[in-house]
Amino acid sequence: MLEVSHLSKRWPRTGRLALDDVTFAVEKGEILGLLGHNGAGKSTVMGIMLGMVRPDAGEVRVGGVSVQRRRAAALGQIGAIYEAASFYSYLSGWQNLRALCSLSGWWDEAEARTVLRQVGLLDRADALTGTYSHGMRQRLALAQALLPRPKLLLLDEPTDGLDPEGIREFRQFVLRLRDEMGLTILLNSHLLGEVEQMCDRCVILRQGKKVYEGIVPGREQGKGLRYQLDTAQLMEARVMCAEHGLKMSREGLVDLGETTTPEELAASFVAAGVGITRWAPQRATLEEFYLQHSGPGV
Amino acid sequence: MLLFLQQWRAEWLKLLARKRTYLGFAVFVGLELLVLAFLHRDGMERFLERLISQQGGLFDYYFSATTLGFWVLWMSVFLLGALYLCLVGGDIVAKETEDGHLRLLLARPISRLRLLLVKYLTVTGYSILLVGFITLTAWLLGLMLQGWGGGLFAWAPEQGVSALINEEDSYVRYAMGGLALSLAMTTAASLAFFLSCLPIKPAAATIGALSYLLVDMILRMNHVLDDCAWLSLTGHMVQWVYVFTDPLEWAPLARAGAVLAAVNATLFTAGWLIFEGRDLKS
Repeated sequence: MLEVSHLSKRWPRTGRLALDDVTFAVEKGEILGLLGHNGAGKSTVMGIMLGMVRPDAGEVRVGGVSVQRRRAAALGQIGAIYEAASFYSYLSGWQNLRALCSLSGWWDEAEARTVLRQVGLLDRADALTGTYSHGMRQRLALAQALLPRPKLLLLDEPTDGLDPEGIREFRQFVLRLRDEMGLTILLNSHLLGEVEQMCDRCVILRQGKKVYEGIVPGREQGKGLRYQLDTAQLMEARVMCAEHGLKMSREGLVDLGETTTPEELAASFVAAGVGITRWAPQRATLEEFYLQHSGPGV
Repeated sequence: MLLFLQQWRAEWLKLLARKRTYLGFAVFVGLELLVLAFLHRDGMERFLERLISQQGGLFDYYFSATTLGFWVLWMSVFLLGALYLCLVGGDIVAKETEDGHLRLLLARPISRLRLLLVKYLTVTGYSILLVGFITLTAWLLGLMLQGWGGGLFAWAPEQGVSALINEEDSYVRYAMGGLALSLAMTTAASLAFFLSCLPIKPAAATIGALSYLLVDMILRMNHVLDDCAWLSLTGHMVQWVYVFTDPLEWAPLARAGAVLAAVNATLFTAGWLIFEGRDLKS
């Protein structure tokens, strides 16, 4: 659905390299988290996706259409919250939506009402946005991103400044959008917990370079996991692991391969008379993983 | 075309939804009242009487609603018109960039050229609307003071225009004058619009445009530009008074109109090219 190919960008004024050959893709129906420290280049990537920032090299394709060559056709498939959404404070929420939708050449009153109801703003739609709370403005930002119905949703720090209830509501709403409408979502967020709970995969940027692209750590299921064994018979357990072609650390950590399940190995321990105090998956948290990849200066 | 009109309508809605837009109209009515009071002072009336008499006209006949309208119109536009239009023109892109509105707008499938065209046409349309409003209200205020009837006395010494127009033609000429002035003033808005497309603050765009017009006017009025009068933007803008010549002189009007239209088009194109190359990110 979204292909980011070899993006490079150097800011002309400062000469700072903002992006260095960044490539990744988001599949249809997937939620991808974009992570990185301040200045890592996350917003620059989003700016390029929306045609607001011009790359020195590379291209972004949405549904096979190049943003750099056919911006209007590509953006017709995108709904976006890019940086802090700033509405016209002297217009109502409804008027803001209408003005924005006119730029897409689309307006459907019934559809707009449906989306406003979904984000919980229908009863305040006629009030001036200058009177809205931060949370309400964020919800209106989400509503405008959903009108007209996009295929790809770009969310740049969408829960910034929301209270915990608001963040939870937002998360549930976005997940529902993906499940019910099959939306593809790219989420740029500093909140690792948010990415951990919402995203299928993530991309980590560090100083403009991609340092990781893959499954969100902590979300892997089944094989290929690291398990922690607590036992008084560590030597015997090690021998058992070696028989399965696995290695065990001094701390009792076992990296399970693709061929051995945790249940099989546990059964082997028991059969060999190894007393097990604890046998549990040892999942690296996203925070640990992120800090490990984004390095110092985070 | 229909889509473009919808987008233009939305831009007008934004402009007309602001309180300060109406405040501007109210300020102009206030200014017109001040100018009228000034014109009704004894000294000023005697000055006008002398000018009309020198042309062989009767003061009582030519000191009419349209005459008052003419004087109030050019004085109001001279004193505040350029300032107000430069404010609107300077804000239309730069303020939206500064406030972050453009990030929302350009996340939509609309080209920068189209967005700028919508905004530019709104600014020029607003120039015409504002000067049209001043033209109408100046005449209405004159009507309240002088009543219906009477000829039109127009005077612009720099252009050598000193005309007495009979009542029959006065209304049409007055309306034409308002239209010609409003078109001329689009250049002030275009200049501010051009500067607004640069990566500068909205106030800088407004001040820059006003400064250019002021310096241009000072140089012109002090005859510094006499050898190259065609370079003076305000020199072309003041040609609107040829609407009041008798018989009507189309040539200077058409020449000034063509030059100003070309200047406007150039300013728009240059602004667009600069805006097109900008990265829009906070």
